[in-house]
Amino acid sequence: MRKSLVNALRWLVFVAAVIVLNFPVIATLVTSLKSEAEIMTNASLIIEAPTLDNYVAVFAMADRFDILHFLTNSLVASLIGSVLAIFLAFPAAYAMARFGVGRSWLLPLAVNLRAVPLIIFAIPIYLMYQQVGLLDTRFGLALILCLVNVPLVLVLFASSIADLPLEIEEAGRVDGAGTLRLLVYVVAPMSLNVVAASSVLAFIYSWNEFLFGLMLTTNNATPVSVGASFFFAASGGGVRWGVAAAVMILATLPPLVLGLLMYRQIGRSMTAGAVKG
Amino acid sequence: MPRTSRFEGRLLIAPLTAFLIALLGFPLVLDIIYSVSRVGFENIRAPELIGFSNYAKAMADPEFWAAAWFSLRFGLIVAVIQVVAGLGLAVFLAPLFAKRPWLIALLMLPMMVAPALVGLMYRLILHEFVGAVPYYLLEWYGDFPAFLGRDWAFTTLVTIETLQWTPFALLILHSSYAAVSPDIREAASLDGARGRRLFVNIDLPLMMPAIGITFFLRFIDSFRVFDNLYTLVGPGAGGSTTSMSIYIYQAFFKVGDIGLAVAASMLLLAASFVVLWVINGLTARKAPL
Repeated sequence: MRKSLVNALRWLVFVAAVIVLNFPVIATLVTSLKSEAEIMTNASLIIEAPTLDNYVAVFAMADRFDILHFLTNSLVASLIGSVLAIFLAFPAAYAMARFGVGRSWLLPLAVNLRAVPLIIFAIPIYLMYQQVGLLDTRFGLALILCLVNVPLVLVLFASSIADLPLEIEEAGRVDGAGTLRLLVYVVAPMSLNVVAASSVLAFIYSWNEFLFGLMLTTNNATPVSVGASFFFAASGGGVRWGVAAAVMILATLPPLVLGLLMYRQIGRSMTAGAVKG
Repeated sequence: MPRTSRFEGRLLIAPLTAFLIALLGFPLVLDIIYSVSRVGFENIRAPELIGFSNYAKAMADPEFWAAAWFSLRFGLIVAVIQVVAGLGLAVFLAPLFAKRPWLIALLMLPMMVAPALVGLMYRLILHEFVGAVPYYLLEWYGDFPAFLGRDWAFTTLVTIETLQWTPFALLILHSSYAAVSPDIREAASLDGARGRRLFVNIDLPLMMPAIGITFFLRFIDSFRVFDNLYTLVGPGAGGSTTSMSIYIYQAFFKVGDIGLAVAASMLLLAASFVVLWVINGLTARKAPL
């Protein structure tokens, strides 16, 4: 009897935690489904007449606020940034795990880099980009997203490669495979789990990055995290809250869906990244 | 180690090394040079060395110290609340997660949302006419505070940051709690330890390293807070919500004082080295997890 009471309390706490922690998204979603008129008269979480008008309006105003442009920028820059991080970190992690090269400085550097506020490097990077013409380009942004993600990806790869059984690689060596072949045909296939998990996490972090998107882009390469705030700036005092809410939901949806689908891999990566660092 | 594999190893880390030199090493050198120079956009390639006056200017600026104090206080308070709340939830809800692991996905969702967007969302949610929070406070208590005014802004920001990142503490501490061997718990309960005593004497000491790591990671992240702060309030009423990151951003983009911004960056870097030194000192003494 007492046990089931405690269990009921657990469920109560769980549901309350889900609602409170996710409140910003829930409340914004609710607002995005109300008509502009209803938003002004009904600020509660109960929708009287649900409508998709705000979402239609977002796509109809492409001439002033082109959300597809911002979403594409985020998608392209985040994809390049995460893939590049993996291509740079994977061989390096292998070299550290198997040859011991760079283990004494690269790994500590990567781990400690996560504790350094990246704004320290933002100003010289801005000035560098200005000189070489990378300001406001998707590739320029992608390079920075790669920089943001490389430490975590490197830490995850280094620990997972070290855990792989050495025997298979030795057998490959005996059969005459060189390091590059081993890396591509033996180590990479065995590491697919970690590659998938860390690329999802890198993609989400890239999508959500804001500071460098704000500093290094003006329009052509602006990611949606920054673009969404343009919407507020553009509408001045008279913000159309329903449309604004729809914009925010659309900007949040990709990482949110990824997070729901891949929560297990993300959780494992986050935990490993924290503990191994 | 054979000579060839050493060479191959160097080859394999070369791309990453080159990347880091270009995007970290070179900027760091620029940081150092500009921090001791008189520099503007007009003489960006030929800065004029002037010694340490940029540092002196930053250190003499009360706003710099206000920003440092804000970041430190914000980081510490947020990290403490998150660890305590995360630990409580992780332990209390552990039986639910053990039977239905996917439940934790719903609590991880806040971490998937861009902090910048969370800041924007709160502009809506806290809005006095259309926001849900003022609406319900008015309904239940008949009043609500000026959330972003001078008196409340700090509390509001702490709450927002805590709500978004407590899931991180929950996740790490949940996996640490789940990793405590059932054998140890069983042995302790055979010796008569129950409930709270079992937790305080067995689980808590075993989870200590994870708790320490979680605290530091949350502190570091909150110390450099920028996104949600920038999109929700900016520097705030009278600079009351200026964090270190906001200070540097303002010095560069709003004031255009490159030397001051860069000197402040270097001081922030020095501060993070101190934090790292403390962390490394503490974790080196503790047993690994």
